[in-house]
Amino acid sequence: MTGRKVLTGFEITADSHTLAAYRARGGYEALARALETMQPEDVTQEIVDSGIQGRGGAAFPAGRKWQGIDPHDGQPHYLIANADEGEPGTFKDRWVLEHDPHALLESMLLGSYALGVRHAFVYIRGEYDRPWRRLDAAVEEAYAEGLFGENILGSGFSCDLFVFRGAGAYVCGEASSLLGSIEGTRAWPRNRPPRMTVRGLYQAPTVVNNVETIASVAWIIRNGAQAFREIGTEKSPGTRLISISGHIRYPGVYEVELGYSWTKFLHEDCGGLLCNKALKAVIPGGISSQVLTGMDAKVLTPGEVEGMTLDHEVLRAAGSSLGSGGMIVIAAGTCMVRLLQIMLRFYRHESCGQCTPCREGTGWMHRIIDRIVAGDGRPEDIGTLYHIARFNDGTTICGLGDAAGYAAIAMLDNFRDEFDHYIEHGHSKFGGNLECQ
Amino acid sequence: MPVIFINGEAVDTGEHRTVLQAALANGFYVPHFCWHPELSVVGNCRVCLVEQEGRGVNIACNMPVVDGMRIETDSETVRAQRKAMLQFILLNHPVDCGICDKAGECALQDYHYAYNGEPALSREPKQKGTKFYPLSSRILLDNERCILCSRCVRFTREVSKSNVLGIEYRGDSALVRPAEDRTLDDDPYSDNVIDICPVGALLSRSFLHQARVWYLEPTPSVCPRCARGCNVQLWHRKPEWRLKGLDPAQNTRILRVTPLENPRVNGPWICNRGRDLGEVLERPRAEQALQKGAGVTMMEAIEATRALMAESTRSIALVSSWASNEELRAFRNALGDNFTSFVKPDRLPEEGEVVEDELLIRADKNPNTRGAQALFGSDPPEIPEDADLILVWGEGVDFGRLPRGAKTVFLGSWLLPEVGHADVFIPLSIQTERRGHYTNFEGVVSAFESCQPRPEGVIDAETLFPLLAAPGAWGRG
Repeated sequence: MTGRKVLTGFEITADSHTLAAYRARGGYEALARALETMQPEDVTQEIVDSGIQGRGGAAFPAGRKWQGIDPHDGQPHYLIANADEGEPGTFKDRWVLEHDPHALLESMLLGSYALGVRHAFVYIRGEYDRPWRRLDAAVEEAYAEGLFGENILGSGFSCDLFVFRGAGAYVCGEASSLLGSIEGTRAWPRNRPPRMTVRGLYQAPTVVNNVETIASVAWIIRNGAQAFREIGTEKSPGTRLISISGHIRYPGVYEVELGYSWTKFLHEDCGGLLCNKALKAVIPGGISSQVLTGMDAKVLTPGEVEGMTLDHEVLRAAGSSLGSGGMIVIAAGTCMVRLLQIMLRFYRHESCGQCTPCREGTGWMHRIIDRIVAGDGRPEDIGTLYHIARFNDGTTICGLGDAAGYAAIAMLDNFRDEFDHYIEHGHSKFGGNLECQ
Repeated sequence: MPVIFINGEAVDTGEHRTVLQAALANGFYVPHFCWHPELSVVGNCRVCLVEQEGRGVNIACNMPVVDGMRIETDSETVRAQRKAMLQFILLNHPVDCGICDKAGECALQDYHYAYNGEPALSREPKQKGTKFYPLSSRILLDNERCILCSRCVRFTREVSKSNVLGIEYRGDSALVRPAEDRTLDDDPYSDNVIDICPVGALLSRSFLHQARVWYLEPTPSVCPRCARGCNVQLWHRKPEWRLKGLDPAQNTRILRVTPLENPRVNGPWICNRGRDLGEVLERPRAEQALQKGAGVTMMEAIEATRALMAESTRSIALVSSWASNEELRAFRNALGDNFTSFVKPDRLPEEGEVVEDELLIRADKNPNTRGAQALFGSDPPEIPEDADLILVWGEGVDFGRLPRGAKTVFLGSWLLPEVGHADVFIPLSIQTERRGHYTNFEGVVSAFESCQPRPEGVIDAETLFPLLAAPGAWGRG
């Protein structure tokens, strides 16, 4: 077991995702109670008090985001659940959509009530078929019981929900370009200012939250902010859904209480590494978070990754982040040069092409690493990669351009000897291995 | 008014709402590709980086002015980042300035010398793109040179509203392309995208490889093709770069027409018809005075006209709406008492032409109708049957419909059929051969300058009218 549960605390059966099963677990009680006894501000205050941080990658306090909107200012607002889970290694929101779609829907209703939203959206990635069918069925069930539409539960509050399927672009997971995708324009990230809570979807104040963040709202309202705070650590309350993959025996989605021991998680809950190999590195939160090694100098003095706990503060101190919760475990004997090549190919393919540094930088880095892997590397290539990554950081419109740079810098910092070896000898130190053999 | 500090100097930002505008208006140059004063802010070129004290480097074009903020436009960090951005932009740019029409007025070229100046870091092969993609019958697109600033895309969306252009594909494969079912030919303002393109990606077919721009100079002028009177620049070879081996006409030819920004008239835009001034101005010229179709000298033609005026009891003048204010005044002062004058339209909308729209194009296809009407009234021409002398100034009059008994004097510039039908024909100079002013339909007066020599045998209307009134002036003139 990985600590207390917020989202996954029920047994999965053939019909545990249905409305009846959700109601049997106490579902929609929080909604009924909130509509009856709470003002919109009270709901927002509850979220602020819970201290829940965004689960999509940036870990921005969700309550602070919600406070950016005045529910009574008379203009339309929008709430969007971002289910465009595109970060490589991440598949946690899929679990929520497939197994507990009503938790998301109830939370969307609570959020819409708190923010004065008449039309809420779920933006789901096009590749997600079963999650979309489950979600769509759940929306239909909810409409049939009068949980969406006009005058919900006789409270006078009305809200409609639209499920919007994306067409499979990584950049649409960036909140502001997601708006463009819904509006029907090219999905290009937008410049800030203005923030989305000032001018977002259709130029109206908009909150975009990750599915996991929103799905926790129902639990928080049902059990109270205090109960949520008691889970996890003081600064990182609650739990995280971690989707673990790579060279690990039992990959999958785990709900982990923040502050849980990393050693226990890897070696007990996930069954340890494949082939009983030693741990070489971990990418803790999707490939856009910095890779950590067993011997990372930045990790609390000479300690190891395995001595750490899983929470935002510790990972930040280690120079990385929990990101989107897509953990990739890398066993000893893996070629990091090839791994970086795959990562950079992804960034090049998914760069939207709007702003200069990311459009040109990701392609440039990919061409260089391709050449290194082909055996034609030059010693100055490392410096050029650093140069590109450094100037990608902070100069792009959205965070995805920065992330490509972070990924490259962390790999180069931690595995410099492998890159030097590859360039010097024209072949990999580990035979180009990506599998665990 | 908020006051900000740019490079330590206090700057009153006035009406400007972004740091870039405030900096540019106050003499602090911040390089920029994608930002254009008339278009929305997209901030995608990332070159206008400035440093805000305490908040790091960010783009100036999207940075709202906040009272008391401190901006550095040329700090160490800004210089390094700007250099890196230019390296990125040049990464897949072919640098074929040697054969590029934009060379000499290219923002990328200028910025490279001003802010980067270093050889490329990259040793990788460049991304290939389409050369000379035909966007329309007027415009070619070079995707290799394109830096995806999206100015042209925004122009067709926000200014001309034809929505023809968009960007296809992603990342470093992204391309500017027209919508599948349209071409830029549908857009009467399409050529403006050539001007606003900061690099040589959008090329004018008519100007393609015609001249290097540093051999050319512009003359301010006014487009005569509608009542808007857009201010334009006529580009021709500089006098010091005239080539003796060339046909002299080539040395003074107008090679291209670009807008001359005037916020009261046309802003920074003109329509495509304004760029095709050659269609009107370069028609075959009439350079010989005629009497009943037979060649005479200018003096004989003037004397003949005076004789007709002396005999006449009822003289009508059809005044040109293509004449400058100076010429119109000269006519009224010299001959106003001799003639009953009406203003007539010289040209009417042609088939297939946009008659009128909301941006610039006006239905009245003459530049100075308002100026002429101010002097001669706005009554439509009405020719009494007993008129015995009709002076036709400018084109657009069907001689077959004039009263049969009337003598006709025709003042014109181009070789039209009417030239031979008139009793007297006197050739006049055209707009590019003299200076003057037009009054547009809103009453804004714009000046044009001369940039071509007047052909032998042609006279300025301003000189002609006093001669028609007083013969003694001939000797003095």
